[in-house]
Amino acid sequence: MVNFTVDEIRALMDRKRNIRNMSVIAHVDHGKSTLTDSLVSKAGIIAGSKAGETRFTDTRKDEQERCITIKSTAISLFFELEKKDLEFVKGENQFETVEVDGKKEKYNGFLINLIDSPGHVDFSSEVTAALRVTDGALVVVDCVSGVCVQTETVLRQAIAERIKPVLFMNKMDRALLELQLGAEELFQTFQRIVENINVIIATYGDDDGPMGPIMVDPSIGNVGFGSGLHGWAFTLKQFAEMYAGKFGVQVDKLMKNLWGDRFFDLKTKKWSSTQTDESKRGFCQFVLDPIFMVFDAVMNIKKDKTAALVEKLGIKLANDEKDLEGKPLMKVFMRKWLPAGDTMLQMIAFHLPSPVTAQKYRMEMLYEGPHDDEAAVAIKTCDPNGPLMMYISKMVPTSDKGRFYAFGRVFSGKVATGMKARIQGPNYVPGKKEDLYEKTIQRTILMMGRFIEPIEDIPSGNIAGLVGVDQYLVKGGTITTYKDAHNMRVMKFSVSPVVRVAVEAKNPADLPKLVEGLKRLAKSDPMVQCIFEESGEHIIAGAGELHLEICLKDLEEDHACIPLKKSDPVVSYRETVQSESNQICLSKSPNKHNRLHCTAQPMPDGLADDIEGGTVNARDEFKARAKILAEKYEYDVTEARKIWCFGPDGTGPNLLMDVTKGVQYLNEIKDSVVAGFQWATREGVLSDENMRGVRFNVHDVTLHADAIHRGGGQIIPTARRVFYASVLTAEPRLLEPVYLVEIQCPEAAVGGIYGVLNRRRGHVFEESQVTGTPMFVVKAYLPVNESFGFTADLRSNTGGQAFPQCVFDHWQVLPGDPLEAGTKPNQIVLDTRKRKGLKEGVPALDNYLDKM
Amino acid sequence: MQVVGLISGGKDSCYNLMCAVREGHQIVALANLHPPKDAKSDELDSYMYQSVGADGVELYGEAMQLPLYRREITGEPKNQKSDYEKTDGDEVEDLFELLCEVKKHHPEVKGVSAGAILSSYQKVRVEDICRRLDLVPLCFLWEREQNGLLAEMVENGLDAILIKVAAIGLGEQHLGKTLSEMAPIMKVLQDKYGVHPCGEGGEFESFVRDCPLFKKRIVIDETETVTHQDDPIAPVFYLRLKKMHLEDK
Repeated sequence: MVNFTVDEIRALMDRKRNIRNMSVIAHVDHGKSTLTDSLVSKAGIIAGSKAGETRFTDTRKDEQERCITIKSTAISLFFELEKKDLEFVKGENQFETVEVDGKKEKYNGFLINLIDSPGHVDFSSEVTAALRVTDGALVVVDCVSGVCVQTETVLRQAIAERIKPVLFMNKMDRALLELQLGAEELFQTFQRIVENINVIIATYGDDDGPMGPIMVDPSIGNVGFGSGLHGWAFTLKQFAEMYAGKFGVQVDKLMKNLWGDRFFDLKTKKWSSTQTDESKRGFCQFVLDPIFMVFDAVMNIKKDKTAALVEKLGIKLANDEKDLEGKPLMKVFMRKWLPAGDTMLQMIAFHLPSPVTAQKYRMEMLYEGPHDDEAAVAIKTCDPNGPLMMYISKMVPTSDKGRFYAFGRVFSGKVATGMKARIQGPNYVPGKKEDLYEKTIQRTILMMGRFIEPIEDIPSGNIAGLVGVDQYLVKGGTITTYKDAHNMRVMKFSVSPVVRVAVEAKNPADLPKLVEGLKRLAKSDPMVQCIFEESGEHIIAGAGELHLEICLKDLEEDHACIPLKKSDPVVSYRETVQSESNQICLSKSPNKHNRLHCTAQPMPDGLADDIEGGTVNARDEFKARAKILAEKYEYDVTEARKIWCFGPDGTGPNLLMDVTKGVQYLNEIKDSVVAGFQWATREGVLSDENMRGVRFNVHDVTLHADAIHRGGGQIIPTARRVFYASVLTAEPRLLEPVYLVEIQCPEAAVGGIYGVLNRRRGHVFEESQVTGTPMFVVKAYLPVNESFGFTADLRSNTGGQAFPQCVFDHWQVLPGDPLEAGTKPNQIVLDTRKRKGLKEGVPALDNYLDKM
Repeated sequence: MQVVGLISGGKDSCYNLMCAVREGHQIVALANLHPPKDAKSDELDSYMYQSVGADGVELYGEAMQLPLYRREITGEPKNQKSDYEKTDGDEVEDLFELLCEVKKHHPEVKGVSAGAILSSYQKVRVEDICRRLDLVPLCFLWEREQNGLLAEMVENGLDAILIKVAAIGLGEQHLGKTLSEMAPIMKVLQDKYGVHPCGEGGEFESFVRDCPLFKKRIVIDETETVTHQDDPIAPVFYLRLKKMHLEDK
């Protein structure tokens, strides 16, 4: 632990090239928090006054009980690189220069802001929020289980956010002690993981991209190996250093020989690319063999050999450690030989970008405004003297109930206590007043684990907390001092809130507390949705069963503090259409003087995904967007240029297209039609669920000649009616959400998995053995609706050996006509309508369709 | 000036008359166009005239103790352009005929009172007819701020109820409500959807039961709710006035 005063920490913040902002990401249970702990114990900064109280991450009681991380936690580390290692820090923006005795030198102190994030898919939104404020990611992979579904999900997100990854192969102790893998087998395992990671990187990014080469490669040192639990780790650099003197070559040259197909001939002492009987793989010979030797000597209690190794490797054991043997000795030995903290910190300093490096290429992804305005330029150069641009990625509850710290990253300028700033919510549009507040920042704070320290100001490139802006933002937003600033782009989550429960207060008099509690809950979690239905129901929507469970617990115990009644979880559906409307639908306005003619049709496969994924975006330049739509989806270019809007919420996966020809006053009613469209796509005709994948065409409109008779009051309901009529005439269908389930288990349990999946309408599409282990991986699709209690069911049917990870994957049409009585979708529609307090039965077409 | 009051039964035409009186004009006759007796529906969805509540207008003459001239609407909205010129068979020509008749009986009439607020469609047509008959149109409500106007009507003792609703956010439950009851609701709908608070876009129609110009007040004894268009989003309902009587004030 490093003891610093706030002033000292503040001084470090100015050396922006020596800052590394990073997240630790991984599949659940791959050992992130344990690894993080070893970093914290080595270099964690604690402010002087807080010394003594140490525990940092996993601060919640339930986190410790369940042994999983639920909320991401930020901590700061400081360490000083040895002078000899400074040459490995490359790139002009990767270090500050200081003058020592009149000579210019690289500054060797590094400030690392690290965010430990949850690995369980249900909390992916926390990962998204963490990635946004960092520039690099430490991807932790359990080398026994290999690359898992959540590894891919988080890595994909990281690449999309332009976060540079480094890899750490964790749990090497298990590979050695439990699986007893040989050296060559272990190499193959490592190599496969590296390849798998690089395949994902190549799929979602490329080496020619703006980030430069981002592939992970042990021979350049951005892959670490070791055991977080036992506190040891190495990269090839550590081993190359041990041998560099002996071979008389440079460390980085030697590293190349220690990975891949490089073989060392023990007789000729030469390296070659082909293996002969006399030669051995460099990695096995020089890296694994010594480790195996240590393990063999220590675990098999060969005292003499151990003593010799202790001597040879120059390990200093404390007096009480000298009597240890077996596993405890092995831990101490390895920790002293290859301390995890040093290795990891070096890897981070060498291979992860500083804010100055990263913001150069991240700006265009982060900023919605023109890429040459004042704010954009300041972000790009990470300029502490430019206008303030800060993104708030999440809200962290304070000890004061109901209040939150706004947590985020300063991209340019400085955020200071008492300064006046513009607080722009996600719906702010430049030049308008909505979702915009100009307020004073009450206090700027440093957030370190659960401790906070007030600080005068925080400059660009750092992570900061703000007090007093929580009431103006729901979940996140942009803080700026530049009056023409556009928003920083909102985060795209990899998971959707597809599971929902209704809650009510056990005691009806507690309703106001419940409502207040729901508002707080919505703030405290980056993704959860708290919906107030018109029927008076209060809905909480989350990513999965576990996510909801935690949200409900928080609501009951922390936010509302009242006993709650909860409904069984239900699934959100989407409404879509299967064909084009069988007629051009007409609806008249209430005063009968305006008519709209429209149709609905399904979008081509993949377009809805592209819209949700942001590839096709509501804010794209319309000509470029039309080009994509024409090339990829064969839309007519002129039509594609006349997309009025996306919906619901202006960004959703439905389109409104103007296909009219020469209609008078059309532009005057556009806003009203768009409002009707947003409404209709948000509350579909079948059961008030969102629509998805529907394209609406406005074919013709006839309007009253006088503007007063075609106002919003007349056109909005008419538009909504005509869209409903269009859907009803285009074979409406329900879409249900489907999970991708990944289950790891021993072979004997595979049969049990099939049984459980079959009963739940799931189907397996991949089954494979994890090479080098007796474990099997089964991948399947499972409707979310069938997933409640799935984990428990699976465990009981496999003797507790199978552990599923469910991540939302796609929407799938629920077969059957929802309008036909007796079908499954019809039943769901009726149930949903009943639950929402809607009129019984789907309204008939003639409610919406008018005759000429 | 001696004036003929075009009345529909609704609040605007009535309040415009009150304004005319306040400005020193003298009302000598009332004129009204009503749907044909054999019409399928009480609501013609006319572009020009309020047609629901026509049954009640019958009592206006006696209530105000003025001669009332009435005529059936025979034309249709043939010319729907923003400008108007004489078009045979158009519903606007019915107004021409009606005012000709009024002029015959009251050659001293010089002005026409009409209650348009924002509909230039209607104003243009009334002006066209007036020009052809050499009359002066009097539209005191033209382009008045609607929330203020609505409040002013209530303050000046105009008692009217809603007899038709046709806009988003309005439903059956609003039929029969008085203007003062509706004012806050209309304000909300204006902010939410851009509905016109005075119903100028056809959002609602009203029927005046009493105002300072009435010598006797109209009492509605029996009504029937008619569903003109049933849809869950913006349904259209109106009240048929089945039985009414006059009461001394």
